[in-house]
Amino acid sequence: MSLIPAVLSSVIFLVSLFLILSERMNRSITAIAASALIVVLGRILGFYSEQSALEAIDFNTLGLLLGMMILVAMLEPTGFFEYLAVLAARSSGGRPVRLFILLCIITTVLSMFLDNVTTVVLIAPVTILISEIIGVSALPFLMAEALLANTGGVATLVGDPPNVLIGSAAGLSFNDFLIYSMPIVLVCWFSALMVLLFLFRRELSKRPRSVKAIMRLNPAETLNHPNTARRILIVLGGAVLFFFLHHALHISPSLVALSAAAVALVWVQPNLQEVLKRIEWSVLIFFGSLFVMVGGLEHAGVMQAVIGSLDRLTHLPPLAFGVGLIWVVAALSAVVDNVPITIALIPVIKGLGESGMDVTPLWWALAFGAGFGGSGTIIGSTANIIVATLSEKTRHPITSTLWNRRGLPVMVLTCAIASVLYAIIYDWF
Amino acid sequence: MNVTSCMKRKVFSIHTDLTLREAARIFVRHHIGLLPVVDKDDKPIGVIGMRDLLTLELPDFVSFVADVDFVHDFGAVEETRPSARTLDRTVKSLMKPSITVDEDCGLLRAYALMLQHNLHDLPVISKDGKLVGITSRVDIGAAILSTWPKK
Repeated sequence: MSLIPAVLSSVIFLVSLFLILSERMNRSITAIAASALIVVLGRILGFYSEQSALEAIDFNTLGLLLGMMILVAMLEPTGFFEYLAVLAARSSGGRPVRLFILLCIITTVLSMFLDNVTTVVLIAPVTILISEIIGVSALPFLMAEALLANTGGVATLVGDPPNVLIGSAAGLSFNDFLIYSMPIVLVCWFSALMVLLFLFRRELSKRPRSVKAIMRLNPAETLNHPNTARRILIVLGGAVLFFFLHHALHISPSLVALSAAAVALVWVQPNLQEVLKRIEWSVLIFFGSLFVMVGGLEHAGVMQAVIGSLDRLTHLPPLAFGVGLIWVVAALSAVVDNVPITIALIPVIKGLGESGMDVTPLWWALAFGAGFGGSGTIIGSTANIIVATLSEKTRHPITSTLWNRRGLPVMVLTCAIASVLYAIIYDWF
Repeated sequence: MNVTSCMKRKVFSIHTDLTLREAARIFVRHHIGLLPVVDKDDKPIGVIGMRDLLTLELPDFVSFVADVDFVHDFGAVEETRPSARTLDRTVKSLMKPSITVDEDCGLLRAYALMLQHNLHDLPVISKDGKLVGITSRVDIGAAILSTWPKK
């Protein structure tokens, strides 16, 4: 390993990480600039080429994300999400605890198949509407939705971007996630719900001032385009079916998602401009650029150095190593976006695997840590940031202190439960 | 024709240091939609609109949910009132920079300005910066329509 490329590319990586964390610069702009810089540096010093940069991009991840984003972008304007929330409000009869549980279940189930951020963005406005008309504070509902979307998203391959990355890198299938991750997540999710019900007991025991208004909401009226909604839901259902089978059929999840998007586009024939406007291009660009950056670090020999320095840790009992990884990744994810952490750790774990270690349990540890760690702070996950930003425009803004008091217990609890269950089923991984 | 032909010359205004509670009372008593805000020397420095006050009571969801047609009953929101603390805020804290026109401004220009800035009332200023009148969308619209040729 020559020293100059390794030092220079590490400096670029750390500086861009600092810019992203301190919010000095938009994260996608930072990532584009840094990835371009690393490739230019790689060409000058001869450690990285355009060809290797392209090969470093995981198109399976990008395709899966893009396909799901297209489906959601088409489903969003149909009013389906409002429909579900209004249905929940009516069947709760306006009782806050019931409403809380129902909204949390809806958000979680949606976040298992759709991106957490999208789910929260779509459910939060209706949540504010419902809580205002029954006359209770929206704050517990909004926080619980973000926290449980984070928790529930860990259960499936498509639920959370880190899972997409891990599944793609480790070759874990949709069903692997259902078998190994879902049971653990269900226990964590249920405990998180109980803790939140306890922590918000005072807010939720307030008697709602107007229940009648809730019963006058008609779910059918929220569906602007029932036919379009039906078609997209059928396609989404088909996609989930193929996710179950993708491993057996030897097709990648990204092919499933992109084909589903294609079917939906042909069947509905929406205004394409409108659909494309709703797609989060900045997220895709952020991912693509991070892949190029981390690819540069690998080619410069930084990853090998990191793996080498971990050599002493590999003599630890493997179980302790896995549990330790859950907590280290969780702590990092609470203060840093979990996507860069996951993308940076993937080559490290791969490298450990090449040096002879059984890394399958480590992939799961990474998934649990990255997923549950995000609950800890107000900036821990994008869903948290979205809910907090939205609440700042209301009369009851969510503060960072409040998040630490409600979210941190959820993070510690879910990580603790995940660690215990991880240890119990370790031999089955 | 210009705006002076249709403006009201009796303009109610409010002092910056008065409270929102007092502003609300003036809106109710004179049944008007916009109050120019004046400083100690009676110079206009901004405006406060009836809708700025009403926004204080409007539920948060109205700004988040694009289509509220399906909400037939606003429930608890209908009974909420701004807190005493909100009502004790000064006019200055809620005032907006004003868009005004000169006395010689034409009717169509005045109407276009109101349309583009989504205004319902438009203060008229003299050359030396004094508030001389106020005109509304209906005042201007009626003045324009009255010039249309009669058969």
